[in-house]
Amino acid sequence: MEFATFADRAAAIEAEPADLETVARVATLLEDAADGDGGRTVAVVARYVQGRVFPAWTSRTLDIGPSACYEAIARAAGTNVSPDDVEDRLAEVGEIGDVAASYDFGGQRGLSAFAGGDDSANGGGGLTVPEVDEALYELAAAEGSGSQDRKVDLLFGLFNRCSSDEARYLARLVLSEMRIGVGEGTVRNAIGEAFDVPVERVERALQVSNDYGEVARVAREDGREGLDAMTLEVGRPVQAMLAQAGTVTGALEDWDEAGVEWKYDGARVQLHYDPGGVAIDGADATVAADDAGEIRVFSRNMEDVTDALPEVVEFADEHLAEPAILDGEVVAVDDDGEPLPFQEVLKRFRRKHDVAKAREDVAVRPVFFDCLHADGEDLLEEPLTTRHERLEAVLREDSEREPDEVEGLSLLWRTDDPDEIERIDADALEAGHEGLMLKDPDSTYSPGRRGKHWRKRKPDVETLDCVVTGAEWGEGRRATFLGTFELSVRDGDGEKRRSAGSAVEPRNLETVGKVATGITDEKLAELTELLEPHVASEDGTRVELEPAVVFEVGYEEIQTSPTYSSGYALRFPRFVGVRSDKDPADADTVERLERLRG
Amino acid sequence: MFKAIVSAETLTSALDSVSVLVDECKIHLEEEGLEIRAVDPANVGMVDLSLEAAAFESYEADGGLIGVDLSRLEDIAGMADSGQLIQLELDEETRKLHIQIDGLEYTLALIDPDSIRQEPDIPELDLPARVVLEGKDVNRSVTAADMVSDHIALGVDEGEEFFYVDAEGDTDDVHLELTREDLIDLQVGPAHSLFSLDYLKDMNKAIPGDAEVTLDLGEEFPVKIYFGFAEGLGQVTYMLAPRIQSD
Repeated sequence: MEFATFADRAAAIEAEPADLETVARVATLLEDAADGDGGRTVAVVARYVQGRVFPAWTSRTLDIGPSACYEAIARAAGTNVSPDDVEDRLAEVGEIGDVAASYDFGGQRGLSAFAGGDDSANGGGGLTVPEVDEALYELAAAEGSGSQDRKVDLLFGLFNRCSSDEARYLARLVLSEMRIGVGEGTVRNAIGEAFDVPVERVERALQVSNDYGEVARVAREDGREGLDAMTLEVGRPVQAMLAQAGTVTGALEDWDEAGVEWKYDGARVQLHYDPGGVAIDGADATVAADDAGEIRVFSRNMEDVTDALPEVVEFADEHLAEPAILDGEVVAVDDDGEPLPFQEVLKRFRRKHDVAKAREDVAVRPVFFDCLHADGEDLLEEPLTTRHERLEAVLREDSEREPDEVEGLSLLWRTDDPDEIERIDADALEAGHEGLMLKDPDSTYSPGRRGKHWRKRKPDVETLDCVVTGAEWGEGRRATFLGTFELSVRDGDGEKRRSAGSAVEPRNLETVGKVATGITDEKLAELTELLEPHVASEDGTRVELEPAVVFEVGYEEIQTSPTYSSGYALRFPRFVGVRSDKDPADADTVERLERLRG
Repeated sequence: MFKAIVSAETLTSALDSVSVLVDECKIHLEEEGLEIRAVDPANVGMVDLSLEAAAFESYEADGGLIGVDLSRLEDIAGMADSGQLIQLELDEETRKLHIQIDGLEYTLALIDPDSIRQEPDIPELDLPARVVLEGKDVNRSVTAADMVSDHIALGVDEGEEFFYVDAEGDTDDVHLELTREDLIDLQVGPAHSLFSLDYLKDMNKAIPGDAEVTLDLGEEFPVKIYFGFAEGLGQVTYMLAPRIQSD
């Protein structure tokens, strides 16, 4: 296909306002791009309409900045046009495609015009889609000293052969500003329409391959069967499945049982391991031969972060034996192995140089919660429980070992018991993690989808200020700490009986729940010190407190309950902080509970 | 099989004249000497280089082909002082080039020649005008033109019999005339073509000031620029396609 044809069609697609018509136009373009070259042109066109030069899974980029592009345009534009002139025009016109289209290219002749061959390198004629693709791959491959000049040379060579319309879309493609209104869904549907294959088979193929070009090619060449035969490839990242916000109550309503996992305050990673060598990005083969090896690690955005995270590589070296693709998080840990905040992890991800030094400052540790591929078998369509069993098997070197002793394994509990979930939540927070993930145990893995099958515990939207009216002495190492704090709110009517000068009479406070969650040992020590002076009476480990201290408390839900005197109970209450700026008289009221409950 | 010893100066001159156009090239290791042909990515400028076996202190080859990263090889050659000798030996099995400079040993990984851009066909041009001049006059012309413009016109005045250089900028112009007296030789013919200084500046970098440089010119035709190095045992030919003149 001529690049001019692509440019014409792109212009028509850009001008098309209706979605269905856009899909139809893209479908026709894909059909017409079938050049009898084994689908190569179809693949390129399927990427270009989305403004992509390379498949989504590769970390290959053109690595060319706007200024290099302006320089190439300036050189192709004729005598005494400078990159500054191009920039000035851009400031005027506002869009690089229009700027490129406004120049008259092709003044520089090519040598082949004089070599007895065709004059394809001269003027607008003959630039084809595969030629553009080839040049852009060569451009991406240029590295080292002087490579920016080479990139400009290559780009100049392309612009020099462009008509106005071609230049418009070439410039946009190179600067990732295609913007002709074609998204991923459009291309997916268009592939289905063009090659008469069911859209959901296209979708599945896209999920495993992460490459619109390859899927378009296979759909054209081998149809539905070809698409169904596409599999994951170890070394080629898969889009991560994402979670939406959710609640324990909601999860238990929707599913018979909830899969419960700790939610780590880390960064998502995908580990690809194959002792026989992972698949690598073809054109980088010279580098990859020594370098790629058996292990690749990708970020959530499918960037290759292998070199930045040697701990994960070492983990795989040490613990894995069979080919696998694992989904997990890396958490930053301090010298004692305690988790550090997310920002610390990010520092490590961005690190390109001096990784060893960065590692000394902040170490990371991987934890895996899913397994997408094990020993030649794709598991995307298996239920979560099966995938987790495979994960356990992959990570467990010693079959005697209990799951909680398997290194790098995030545990999965299955339960329909809210109290059990609360206990898991408490443990997660205790261990310094963020909270819980709730997953449908029967759900398959849907790459790139943020769906209802995975839910992260919603952060507290509203908090309540509650008076602490009781507590319990702890056990074991916490024997000297007060914990499990009884929370109360004011009964609004009681306010009238409030006597001047005093805080609130105890009888005007109504209990609403107990909070034991979200408090570290250090914090418990502090709170004990704060509360001990207010102990009114003790009965065994139970302690009654004078109303004096106000806690800010998060919760998931307010329910009616016979257990507490307010008639309400907080579901999953969580300690947020001490409101030292508030007196019990400023605490929230039963009326507010009623209002919040809605 | 390839094994050779060459002076640092000769090797550097050869590499530099190619690296102004491309980053990687194929080197033909012929029995009679080295040959390199390469074209820039936009197919506008081309280089054709030969270096005879006699230019080497010693030379043995049997027609192999290697691909090299020019800047790497230049860096290594740069380690030698100008009088020093550089020994090159190809390891056929590992496809690496062993380079020795006075006890310094360097093993250079080669590039698969198939991954390097195809070598150009050399246009057979019958160019009517020929200008032979000193390298320093080429240097001077290019430098002056570059001050005002990004293009340079080269031509021959048939009536007055002189070679001229024109460069027109937005505001300033440069004009230079070289008559028979200023030139080593001149064959008069119809010649006027416009060239991009982006390329000519790079080619000019490889032209020694004291070299005898020949320019073959036509009307709206490529220019062929050639000169010798290594006491005439090496030969560089550049070819540069013209721009269409807008007026």
